[in-house]
Amino acid sequence: MTPIAATMPARPRARRLGFLVVLLAFAVAGCALPFVVKSQLFLTLMTQAAINAVLATGVGFLVRQSGNVSFGHAAFFGLSAYATALLIKFGLPAEAAIVLAVLLPTLFALALGVVIVRVTGVAFSMLTLAVAQAFHELVLKWRELANGDDGMAIAFPSRVFGIDMATFQQPASMFLISWMTLVAIILGLWLLQRSHFGTLTLAIRENEERARYIGYRTVVPRAIVYAVSAAIASVAGLLFALYNGFVSPGTLHWSLSGEALIMAIIGGPRLVWGPALGGVIFFFIKNAAGDFTDHWPAVIGITLILVTVLLPRGVGGIIVWATDRLTGRRER
Amino acid sequence: MVINVLNGLVYGGLLYILSVGLVLIFGLRRVVNFAHGSLFMVGGYIAFAVAAHGGFWVALPVAIAALAILGVILDRFVFRPLQHEDPIATVLVTFGLLLVLEDVVKTIWGKDFLSLAAPPLLSGTVSIAGETFPVYRLMVIGVAVLVAAGLSLWLRFSRIGLYVRASSVDPVTTGMQGVDTDRVSAVVVAIGAGLAGLSGTIAAPLMALSPSMGSFILIDSFIVVVVGGLGSFTGAFIAALLIGQVHNFGIVYVPWAASLIPFLLMVAVLIWRPTGLAGGRA
Repeated sequence: MTPIAATMPARPRARRLGFLVVLLAFAVAGCALPFVVKSQLFLTLMTQAAINAVLATGVGFLVRQSGNVSFGHAAFFGLSAYATALLIKFGLPAEAAIVLAVLLPTLFALALGVVIVRVTGVAFSMLTLAVAQAFHELVLKWRELANGDDGMAIAFPSRVFGIDMATFQQPASMFLISWMTLVAIILGLWLLQRSHFGTLTLAIRENEERARYIGYRTVVPRAIVYAVSAAIASVAGLLFALYNGFVSPGTLHWSLSGEALIMAIIGGPRLVWGPALGGVIFFFIKNAAGDFTDHWPAVIGITLILVTVLLPRGVGGIIVWATDRLTGRRER
Repeated sequence: MVINVLNGLVYGGLLYILSVGLVLIFGLRRVVNFAHGSLFMVGGYIAFAVAAHGGFWVALPVAIAALAILGVILDRFVFRPLQHEDPIATVLVTFGLLLVLEDVVKTIWGKDFLSLAAPPLLSGTVSIAGETFPVYRLMVIGVAVLVAAGLSLWLRFSRIGLYVRASSVDPVTTGMQGVDTDRVSAVVVAIGAGLAGLSGTIAAPLMALSPSMGSFILIDSFIVVVVGGLGSFTGAFIAALLIGQVHNFGIVYVPWAASLIPFLLMVAVLIWRPTGLAGGRA
């Protein structure tokens, strides 16, 4: 898919340092935002955008690190939100429910991954879609468990981890939490893709057979990549559950998986921060389009087609190209 | 019991007609058309619109022809330019098309469920094993059998069929021997899309028309294609029958888990044979 040099960690030290400085700048800028901007509407939008960006980051990581495109990441997003709701409903302490809400979907993804990463490419996309839709149908049909179409309110206690629940449900404070989570995940993925495991999975992506010949097992690393991306999607689902205090089958619907993928593509999945950027852009396009037309699905669809055809590297690719030009660094 | 099996065959037949179009297009263009379910839906809506003026028997050929033309357009402007790109690019573009088509249909016909009556000629029932069964549903099974027989005869005995088989195995060599592979592909995509139109039309009296009906059945047809083995016609046939039965028995006996069962079957098949039931190339 990608020429391997595009994502190999063999980059000049200045560039590495540059990445960390910019990431730190974004972290600081994010922290300052609620103090500078007083518009509740804008903060609400930014919180939702940040949660979307976390989901897109998970999807983008999978594309970058395994070359596979998932059409089913809403499954992990929704499973995590439902797990929070159901575990609390069955009497677990909220803290335990929150930890399990990330852990259970991740373990499930690992087990599933061992099966489905055997198929690659387009067949993989079809499978992930089918799996996610199975959960969506299950939640819709199993009314006694999950209240079907109406969704469930989550009975959070007033304090979670010693933090007042209101902290999670007000845009200003929740934006900080979501933004910091996003920055931490991007930093973690950036470190991960520079590690031995990161290069190994890239080698598997480029040529699985060759990786096997030089003595690596390939199924488990690919399943782990899938599980890591699922874990990120679960974190996004958990943030969603905390923020909204409510979960509905829409969180499992494949249109959400599609949206997450679209975010990753718009931002540029070859960059660790691309999908997050795409998530924020997508969210604002969707809202702006929703203001003047009911046809935002068509707007999004046309955007997706145009970006795929005209800008295969996404908006992030343009930014990298432009900064390289500005700083006089020639790309390869 | 017999009735359940027959109902399974009806759904399986419908799935087969839809999935075999996906398989045809995949075989020639090496792309998976995520908008295939939308073609099915558009076919149903076109049939609905035409049937209001000319009746079912006019709507059927019109819907098939309209979709075949749409297929040629798709092939010319989407599949052909993208066939040397990453397959994922086609997936994304066809996914974008899916969103656009759903929105267009929603704009023209609205979000509400619409229904199309079965033609009077086929609206009776027959008695089978002591129970009544609608004639229309029997006809759906018949159409699926005809499509299967017609396709395999066409692929095996006609000259274009030979070209199709040759270029789905090795398009470059086939092209070098003087076959216009782009034209063959265009014909095949037209047939595949036409079959989506056919299945959409015959599904219209069975299920309510809604803009989301396409994405619903797309998932089952993906399961069929993967379980059968990507690109295999025989595999698609067997898998469609299997999924039809499993789907139907699920609905009758374990309704809350009905939609999980095809998925479990798929996982089981993948563990056992990652390339699918009849699949060579994955």
